Amino acid sequence: MTEKRPKVLVVDDAATVRLYHTTLLTGAGFEVSEAANGLEAVEAALNTAFDLFVIDVNMPKMNGYTCVETLRSATVGTPAPIVMISTEDSRGDADRAYAAGANLYLVKPVDKDRLARVARMLTAGVAA
Amino acid sequence: MGLVRRDQQPAAEKAAPSAASLVEQLDDPDPDVRREAALGLDGSAEAVPALIPRVAGETDPAVRDAMLTTLAAHDTDEVAEALAVHLASDEASLRTSAAEALATMPGSVPAIIPRLVQDPDHDVRVMTAMVLADLPHPGALTWLADMIRADPHPNVVTAAIDALLPSITPEHTELLRDAVHRFPDDPFLRFTVEAAVG
Amino acid sequence: MTSSTKTAGAALTVSDFEKFRDYFYKRTGIQFTESKRYFVDKRIETCIRQAGYSGFASWFAALRLNDRSGLLQELINQLTVNETYFLREDYQFESLIRTVLPDVLAARGGVGRLNGPVKILSLPCSTGEEPYSIALRLLEEWDQIDHVDVEIHGADIDSDVLARAELASYNERSVHRVPPAWRKKYFTPVGVRYQLDEGIRDAVTLHQINVCDTVAMRGFRDFDVIFCRNVLIYFDELSSRRAAENLYGALRPGGYLFLGHSESMSRISPIFTPARLPEGIVYQRPIGGSR
Ligand SMILES: C[S@@+](CC[C@H](N)C(=O)[O-])C[C@H]1O[C@@H](n2cnc3c(N)ncnc32)[C@H](O)[C@@H]1O
Repeated sequence: MTEKRPKVLVVDDAATVRLYHTTLLTGAGFEVSEAANGLEAVEAALNTAFDLFVIDVNMPKMNGYTCVETLRSATVGTPAPIVMISTEDSRGDADRAYAAGANLYLVKPVDKDRLARVARMLTAGVAA
Repeated sequence: MGLVRRDQQPAAEKAAPSAASLVEQLDDPDPDVRREAALGLDGSAEAVPALIPRVAGETDPAVRDAMLTTLAAHDTDEVAEALAVHLASDEASLRTSAAEALATMPGSVPAIIPRLVQDPDHDVRVMTAMVLADLPHPGALTWLADMIRADPHPNVVTAAIDALLPSITPEHTELLRDAVHRFPDDPFLRFTVEAAVG
Repeated sequence: MTSSTKTAGAALTVSDFEKFRDYFYKRTGIQFTESKRYFVDKRIETCIRQAGYSGFASWFAALRLNDRSGLLQELINQLTVNETYFLREDYQFESLIRTVLPDVLAARGGVGRLNGPVKILSLPCSTGEEPYSIALRLLEEWDQIDHVDVEIHGADIDSDVLARAELASYNERSVHRVPPAWRKKYFTPVGVRYQLDEGIRDAVTLHQINVCDTVAMRGFRDFDVIFCRNVLIYFDELSSRRAAENLYGALRPGGYLFLGHSESMSRISPIFTPARLPEGIVYQRPIGGSR
């Protein structure tokens, strides 16, 4: 029961964004892994059972929506909560995110307390 | 039963289909036929006008990827212009695939960069930074630096910083610090710059 | 050596190197960075000397204008990295036998109902260790081998390595992972070398092919499993994409693709579906066209 830190996968093609989210989430008590595009995320999720995903929309090779759809499909079939983060809300992105299977949609830049808070909330069952 | 050998060349030398017949196959209902046609049109300049308008309408991602692979190898102004239009697409997979293809076209993309970095849609400018991140061209770093210096939108500036990151030198410190001053309310931008210049 | 020295005809200037690099890339999809300069120079010098040219310019002109004497092939042979050995990245052959082949048989209707042999391709096969390893493992360890026809094909761009694959005579380093019992059963020692038995040699069909050449790759069809290990890492973005698409075309829908253990499709192309096997990640051509 002691000290099981929830595992989160941070998915973004921008190294700085990954670093930012990783720093925030590590600070909030998560064990963080990173992937640089949707396909890498899918491969990582096939190897590890994550408790939470934080996923960007615009990425090369496989964009965020397809990534979320694949994570939810039989290929991976993860039940873990997924937060999608995008630059803008102007293109109906939030609707697409929820339709793909995301649990929460946030707009960049994400306030640091906010991300930590929702991450804790979404993984409340996993650990303190 | 067991291991068997088959010596005839696997039908390799059957004549390559003509470009005209491949262009026709681009409209075949079977995605696999379309995909093979798109790939088979590699190197055939006369097929470019047929491929270009089909990229946006293609619904099968594997077929679209094949079209873009073939188109990107042309690296001409015509192709660059046509793909750049998709950077503004509402469809995430189309705009990112277009950006990836453009990033492999150092011959023709530089000519359209001055226009793209002035695009009124800041999402297009973010995508432009993504193109510049991977474009093998000596001008790429200068354009990115210009974006960091002058772009009015913080998301474009952070995208440009990210693209410049692998090539950042002490000479960029000034530029990055100035960016923080221009957007004092953006915590992510400040974090990015601190991470970049240490 | 400084960059201005132009010793005895053959040494390359920076612009020679660049011209050559572009040309070679267009023909093969293989991209050399500046860091490979020394390696490339040495190989080119060898080619120029062996073909009897006085220097880079005349050799390069001959190469580009009309390559009657096979200069390009010679160069490809010199410039490719051929390193390989028996049972390399063996855990993937484990996956092949335990998970992939049973799935292939099931997907194709089950043993006894297959419409044609199970087809396996090793591309690139280099000097043959990879396709022959597959043959050995199937014969020794796959319980269905007597009930199913299996075709194994090996292919590579380099005609020299293919000739050596055909010869199938290996040194100690090549066979260091082959268990003694198998060595005894399938190899004959000849001096310090090991000669693979004809039975195994004959079970593998060899082809010369450039994996980036879409027209030539059309000849490869309906493979159930492809091993494409340790070559895509040498390609640039566009060539590796094209190679991926050609491999996709060579597989049956539902067919499996193995990459080298340090390689991943995630930086190349999204057209395959990754799947997790107990031994690692494998890629599948989706059934029904798209992902
Ligand atoms: C390091 S070996 C890999 C052999 C084996 N698959 C393994 O993993 O041990 C790389 C091989 O790729 C071949 N090769 C390089 N470019 C190629 C191309 N465009 N098409 C086919 N083969 C290629 C080389 O000739 C060389 O034999």
